[in-house]
Amino acid sequence: MKLACVVHRYGADIAGGSEGHCRLIAEHLAAHHDVTIVTTCAKNHITWANHYPAGETHERGTRVLRFPVARERDMRRFMDLSDLIAADRATPDEQEQWFRENGPDAPELLEHLRRHGAGYDRVLFWSYRYADTYFGLPLAAQRAVLVPTAEEDPVIHVDALEAFFARPKGFLFLTPEEQALVAARMPGGTPSAIIGSGLDPAPAASDLSSLDALGLSDPFVLYLGRIDPNKGCQTLIRHFLRYVEGGRPVQLVMAGPASMPIPDHPRIRPLGFVDEAVREALLRKARALIMPSPYESLSMVLLEAWNHGLPALVNARCKVLRGQVERADGGLYYSSAIEFIAGLDYLLDHPDAARQLGRQGLAYVDRQYRWPIVLEKIDALLAQVGHESL
Amino acid sequence: MTEAKVRVDEVMGEIERDVRARLRRHLLKKGGAADYEDQEIFDAVHALLSRAVDGRDLDATLLPELVDGDVDWRLQTHLNLSTHRPAATGRFILFAKKKLLLPLTRWLFEYSQENFRRQDRLNRILFVCIEELALENARLRRSLETTASAPAGKPAR
Repeated sequence: MKLACVVHRYGADIAGGSEGHCRLIAEHLAAHHDVTIVTTCAKNHITWANHYPAGETHERGTRVLRFPVARERDMRRFMDLSDLIAADRATPDEQEQWFRENGPDAPELLEHLRRHGAGYDRVLFWSYRYADTYFGLPLAAQRAVLVPTAEEDPVIHVDALEAFFARPKGFLFLTPEEQALVAARMPGGTPSAIIGSGLDPAPAASDLSSLDALGLSDPFVLYLGRIDPNKGCQTLIRHFLRYVEGGRPVQLVMAGPASMPIPDHPRIRPLGFVDEAVREALLRKARALIMPSPYESLSMVLLEAWNHGLPALVNARCKVLRGQVERADGGLYYSSAIEFIAGLDYLLDHPDAARQLGRQGLAYVDRQYRWPIVLEKIDALLAQVGHESL
Repeated sequence: MTEAKVRVDEVMGEIERDVRARLRRHLLKKGGAADYEDQEIFDAVHALLSRAVDGRDLDATLLPELVDGDVDWRLQTHLNLSTHRPAATGRFILFAKKKLLLPLTRWLFEYSQENFRRQDRLNRILFVCIEELALENARLRRSLETTASAPAGKPAR
């Protein structure tokens, strides 16, 4: 099949969740399909400033078409509209304007879909919240499959989405929780599948020497990803500092780019962006992964941790994270500081049980998230969409 | 080596029981409500408030709908610069506010805005707590009335 994958930014050096998901899926689909990535020149997800050259390139088996961003994001206007959305006070015009201000504003990308959308057998769109998808999907609605990557945040409740979610001919969801969130807004009978994301088995052994130079103390628990208040990191640090006040000799290692201040504390070790070898070694050596994010449509990091047999402690206020942990029997959850402390105590004081939780997580990944299983579900959905709508 | 399955629901059940017990002891030690001496009462209060905080949609409550007619109760967390002056004077004043005054006071605005957002969330949680209590009260009242109106000797269903 000739497939287009529309995503707001694209590149091997982009760490974002939905962008990474799109790239992995597209690269694996490219083994059996003719895949074109339709994206912008942006790399920075805050400003959408043009970074990559516009035009056509070929990357890891896919054709990539990048279109320039016409206007960078005005954060003040965007935040003002976001406040209106959060307060459930936005008019229909303001709701539409929110999607415009969220960006990226790439008129040539939309023009490409308008002119050439019919040339693809299916057009897959990632993340309903971005302008390329929100305004682009209606231009190729007859062959559109949406990967909403919806989270339980205020935007999902805006009225404008009622009409939008009626447009795609099929949906690919990441978790049952995400499906339930969107299902209430989409027409009954629209084909859909829950795919999550694919993973290859982790290497049997890792070189842990890359950790030597980092001066980490044992035991440590790991946070992996963007260090950002929106990812729950402020709360994580607050809970963790309260935990170590009790005298537990454990370190919190935070690996990822930081967009917030991290307190200078001997028990907190920020590493910044880490390469694949360090990441791999951290996942091998940590005692648990902590996932404090309140909003997720799927936690790839959680799956990666389980892929290494690492148990997790997750924020229970995020239904997706809690659901993943319960389905996998792969970790514990907390919804307050005192539960965080009790959960971490359990994982550190019961190493055999903690290891078993990690193994159960790995077994869950083996059952649900290996590439052949995921690709089979996608192909079945793409065939079903074609059968029913084209 | 295959080990016995560890069930998350069982471990979490233990942890949650332990957390409630610790929380109750902590509150009693700090001089919290004497009724918390009774574990059952504490558990019932904990369940009701937890349901309000975790289980409810903060945007779907009755009280704000009733309040909305009289008072604009939501905190306005975004800045809306305006002027009542007409035409050119008005445009100049808006320009001065946006380009001169706002940059000078942005740090204060952002500090306040974050606190307004927190207060706004807290207000909505409190609305949900009140509604949960009102719901509980209504259910109890109905149950009481049904019991009172049942014929003597026959327990109400």
